Amino acid sequence: MFSLLYGFWNLFFRRAEFQVLILGVDRAGKTTLLEQLKRLYTGLDPLPPGKIPPTVGLNIGRMQVERCKLIFWDLGGTPALRSLWENYYSEAHGLIFVVDTSDHDRFEEARDTLQLLLNHPDLAAIPLLVFANKQDVEGATTPRELEAMFGLKQLLSSSQPQNMLGTTALNGDGVQEGIEWLVEALRKSPRAMGMQQ
Amino acid sequence: MGVLVSKLLSTLMGNKEFRVLILGLDNAGKTTILYKLQMGEVVTTVPTIGFNVETVQYKNLRFQVWDLGGQTSIRPYWRCYYQNTNAIIYVVDSADPDRMGISKTELITMLEEEELKDAVLMVFANKQDLPNALATDAIAEKLGLSLLKNRQWAIFKTSAIKGDGLYDGLDWLVNSLREGK
Repeated sequence: MFSLLYGFWNLFFRRAEFQVLILGVDRAGKTTLLEQLKRLYTGLDPLPPGKIPPTVGLNIGRMQVERCKLIFWDLGGTPALRSLWENYYSEAHGLIFVVDTSDHDRFEEARDTLQLLLNHPDLAAIPLLVFANKQDVEGATTPRELEAMFGLKQLLSSSQPQNMLGTTALNGDGVQEGIEWLVEALRKSPRAMGMQQ
Repeated sequence: MGVLVSKLLSTLMGNKEFRVLILGLDNAGKTTILYKLQMGEVVTTVPTIGFNVETVQYKNLRFQVWDLGGQTSIRPYWRCYYQNTNAIIYVVDSADPDRMGISKTELITMLEEEELKDAVLMVFANKQDLPNALATDAIAEKLGLSLLKNRQWAIFKTSAIKGDGLYDGLDWLVNSLREGK
């Protein structure tokens, strides 16, 4: 009886905690995005974008969004550091993949990197949010074009939650909308909910 | 009351002092790093028995930097200095692959300490001026850095005697400690 009540208590009042990986090739804007998230949800002044050096390790952002506790892991994206990513896969509930839509020469690299992620067994069924970033730059590819180029629909099974949105991490355009979608997707995700103790 | 006023003043002036420990095995270059940061010079060092402590001012922030001796027999005393530490600079000799395993063990043991749970970790892959120095990704792998999930960390290539990379590291520290201010 007690455990039943406790179960209900948990169901209604306990805040879910989700760990979200922010990945992508170097210079996509991952840390700028994390700084923007900190600004939006914790009120912290973001680092001036010109002052953000390439990440050579792990940046962490902890924040409360819509009654969920989100922990963001922003990992360095240079080719040498990508080998470290996989140690984080099994404990991640959600994945944000950031693409620089103004850097046309690296779309292929970004697509291959994403494909490797999606084929990894430790990331099976993970809710995926792709940020088509740097929409403020002239000549940037639109999210729709990028989606076609990446062939996301073919890459993923239809049951895997996925969304692609245009963003400008520099000023936060599109970021909040994306995070709201992600929180909703996490709450419905068997993977993410199954990982809650 | 006096303490309160001085605390208030230092908050207003942005003069908070951060406590930083420089740790690592013996002969990694910890003391050389400390004095290169503090004086901008390469000093002749002897193995540290005990500690050196200096204040380093960088970009409006003041760091109280403790360099603790790294020999096997005195490593157990590191723990006496953990309290109130904001950041750890962990120094490894990149040209000493044989001791990378011991370095990892010491690092893991240290990070398990409750008193250090909020400290950020910065690894200096030192002695990059030596020809057979390992690259940072290899060192990150050998030290098991990607097993760290709840701690902000970074790794930098450094050469203490040339001064390379030290200030990239300090820039990172300034950014990472900003939130805890």
